[in-house]
Amino acid sequence: MNELKNNAPELSKLKKEHPFRTPDNYFDDFSARLQMKLEAEKSAAVPRKIKFIQILKPALGLAASFALIFMLVYVPLKTFIPERVTDLAQNTEETDADWGILNYIESIDESSFVALLNESENNDDFTDDELTLYVSANFSDYELYENLKNNQ
Amino acid sequence: MPDSEQHIIADLRDENKRDLAFHVLVKTYQERLYWHIRKIVMNHDDADDILQNTFMKVWRSIDKFREESSLYTWLYRIATNESITFLNSKKKKSLMALGEENEYLVDNLMSDPYFDGDEIQLKLQEAILKLPEKQRLVFNMKYFDEMKYDDMAQILDTSVGALKASYHHATKKIEEFLKNTD
Repeated sequence: MNELKNNAPELSKLKKEHPFRTPDNYFDDFSARLQMKLEAEKSAAVPRKIKFIQILKPALGLAASFALIFMLVYVPLKTFIPERVTDLAQNTEETDADWGILNYIESIDESSFVALLNESENNDDFTDDELTLYVSANFSDYELYENLKNNQ
Repeated sequence: MPDSEQHIIADLRDENKRDLAFHVLVKTYQERLYWHIRKIVMNHDDADDILQNTFMKVWRSIDKFREESSLYTWLYRIATNESITFLNSKKKKSLMALGEENEYLVDNLMSDPYFDGDEIQLKLQEAILKLPEKQRLVFNMKYFDEMKYDDMAQILDTSVGALKASYHHATKKIEEFLKNTD
């Protein structure tokens, strides 16, 4: 105390009390409020038991829905109109093939395309010998006779 | 360590007595810790939050208490660290520059409905808030709480010599402020 008087006479004259106060009954209620917070933390800390089936439930539901749609749409189609389904499949394949060729043509530039056409034209030129060899190998004399007769 | 503290610690480690022992601990230390925190952060609402966090931390880490220090100094240390962490996070959030913390704390004090000091008390608080953080802590613990230097050394993890020097510097600075702002 004497030390404070010597070092800080102005300070030592002041009353040693802090100017703060608290709301009414703050310390009476504090313990109960803290207890509530603790209970909330305790209950949050307890891990909920999650069964394996609960994790799989959404995925299983989705798979079951797809299976049901498949059964309702594809199986009757396959059972009652199998030819129609086959035709559809073939058409789809053809269409896919056409699209493939178109895509290929679109992807090459103009000059390359013209060069490709010229090349294919040149390749179509057969010599008379090649033509004779091809006809004799693939057609009989009777077939040739029939063809000529029809064309006349 | 006092017998009462040893008794509380033993009960806290007993699963069956833990809840009751913790209630006793809160009732025993809540006021002292509250005023310690309040003098650091100034505002009642902030002090209330920090006091709750302090006890929550005590609850979670009671098994880590090694009994190398007294229960009382361990609690004070947690409360001090929580208060400083709170102020630092406030500083970061509001992008406070160096030295602006004091202004923030004065504003915090003035706007607090639970501050009803007179002019001279406000002046003393302003003088305390102008001190560097460590000197402020030491001054409050020595001047208002009349804490022993040995206990303060355990709480603040500093030597007694350094604490005495800090207190000396703090009183000199406050005296200067009181003289020069008449």
